Amino acid sequence: MQREEARTLLNQIFRSLFDDESLSITEQTTAKDVSGWDSLNHMNLIVEVEKTFGIKMTTREVQSLKNAGDLITIITNKAK
Amino acid sequence: MLRYGLSALDFTKLSKEARRLTAAGGSPKVRIAVLADCAPQHAVSLLKVLFVKNGIDAEMYEGEYDTIELEISNPESGLYAFDPHYLIFINSVFSLRRKYEAFHEDPRSFSGYHFALMKQLWEAASAKTNAIIIQSNLVVPFERLYGNYEAKAPGSFFSNVQRLNQRLLEEAAENKRVFLCDLDYIASYVGKKHWFDEKMWILSKSLCAYEFLPLTLQGFVDIVLAHLGRAVKCVVLDLDNTMWGGIIGDDGLKGIRLGHFEDGEAFEALQHFMHDLKKRGILLAVCSKNDQAVALRPFREHPDMILKEEDITVFIANWQNKAENIRSIKEILNIGYDSMVFLDDNSFERQTVREQLPELIVPELPEDPALFLRALAELNLFESASHSELDGERSSVYREQAQRQVAEKSFSDPAQYLKSLEMKISLSRFDDLYMPRIVQLMQRSNQFNLMTCRFNQAECEKMRGDLLHYYPFYVKLQDKYGDNGLISVVILKLEGRTIEIIEWLMSCRVLVRGVEQFTMNFVFELAVRHRAEKVAGRYRATDKNAMVKDFYVQFGFQKTACGPEETAWELEVPRYRPAQTYMTQENQII
Repeated sequence: MQREEARTLLNQIFRSLFDDESLSITEQTTAKDVSGWDSLNHMNLIVEVEKTFGIKMTTREVQSLKNAGDLITIITNKAK
Repeated sequence: MLRYGLSALDFTKLSKEARRLTAAGGSPKVRIAVLADCAPQHAVSLLKVLFVKNGIDAEMYEGEYDTIELEISNPESGLYAFDPHYLIFINSVFSLRRKYEAFHEDPRSFSGYHFALMKQLWEAASAKTNAIIIQSNLVVPFERLYGNYEAKAPGSFFSNVQRLNQRLLEEAAENKRVFLCDLDYIASYVGKKHWFDEKMWILSKSLCAYEFLPLTLQGFVDIVLAHLGRAVKCVVLDLDNTMWGGIIGDDGLKGIRLGHFEDGEAFEALQHFMHDLKKRGILLAVCSKNDQAVALRPFREHPDMILKEEDITVFIANWQNKAENIRSIKEILNIGYDSMVFLDDNSFERQTVREQLPELIVPELPEDPALFLRALAELNLFESASHSELDGERSSVYREQAQRQVAEKSFSDPAQYLKSLEMKISLSRFDDLYMPRIVQLMQRSNQFNLMTCRFNQAECEKMRGDLLHYYPFYVKLQDKYGDNGLISVVILKLEGRTIEIIEWLMSCRVLVRGVEQFTMNFVFELAVRHRAEKVAGRYRATDKNAMVKDFYVQFGFQKTACGPEETAWELEVPRYRPAQTYMTQENQII
């Protein structure tokens, strides 16, 4: 999967999860930039990403996420 | 009970609903506290949504992660200030493992040691609140140290968890305050390889895979609902292709599939389950598109029928619309649609009935009858908060009721009819023998219930022992058609020169028989004996008890206060005029 395709799909997950249709994430987006992205919603985000892309992230992968770009990297590496 | 299908328990959808949830307000809140040694946040917000879905406005208290002992031991804790009606303990086996690893005594004694700790927590909580305690059991872990040899190796963690669950089971059987929520059952149902989520435990201390958190929590919701009186009282059965294979009208007695004939075993299994439910006190009714005589033939003549005619309280077979027939069944039994389940193999009938009776519980049934019983079991429709030896007699009591209804029609004068019943009534202060039934009636009675206090067994026993301040009694009624059993509960509080009625409820099947009149006469006799000056009572409105809104008016009580949901009434003792009744008192109560 290409990065841009992954970013678009990820953006849809963000919009639905944070109830904000105007949300537009970039590779650099972090939890500070999105209102409501707290530790509770972070787990919901992981659940949604794994379900939507049909992947399983390792514990370390989740722990080392710094921004949306890291998430896109994992998705493009793992998703078919 | 899952009045919605399993698909409603979707983690993503429910989490979203949880975020949008606004306080419903108005209706009396049920206060529920959650203490957990796993992360409580997701669990608490999902629980709240699930309660709302079931019409319960729950106020939740969320203890911080892994602070169970602190909350319980500190008399100033937020928990006690919150004063919960229900106290939920959720224990994770991952958390238990840490305690096992830190345990320095003989590992074989770990389960006993830990059980004692849990019991101490319940006892400490019980001393400071009246809450009902709902304790999760432990999900037996994946990994085994000795494989199948575990049973002979009592020191392993796996074996300790099994033994701890066994101790919890034995204790909950005896302890009236503690109810077990069987998480190990749910995890096994889901499959432990899907239910456990080690990653989410490490990352966020989640009890299980988030996907299965809603289904897991539904167990706690089911227990609370049962305590609040939301129980199924009747199952309405379709016959052709539901209770047996084939169509009795076309295939005849020899053609229908039952017993070991083709897939007959599937129907037999469902019939066995229905028969067990009937023995448990749940009423069975039949609603079938058939000629009555034809529909009855298998019940009377087929050797492989498990259900017999006398197991069915109301039997309706005709060619009318099923929703109409279910309405008749509801009226004869005098129960609500939300306490009735309708089973029908035909999806068109199910849909039509659902549209016309939206409160009725109509489970989806799979195409293959071999899976009927499983589909039903998945919904946990028959959760209960009590059981009593007398449950099984309920079915015959309702059958006798149908006979009385026929007799009533043959009298033009109601007094004459009441005399003809030869009623014998008895009133007794609460006692051990009837305590389970008393508590059960408290939980189940909705319509003729003035305060809907739902006192639990511990509270009932407390009032029973407090001779100085309480006079709690139950009423039994017999007539020439049979024994109605324990049908009414009244709790009086003796307050100086006032007798206060703090609860009064009655089973609706003895309406207009004069039971409440006889009982009120008794209350005033008691008032005279206690030299009370007046009797006071209150009515608290729920969405089901409008029937007794004016209960006190008929006895001449004056309204002393009137709020949006509650009215208060009183009557001076000398002004009471005893009501005319047609029954004799069997016992002499002191």
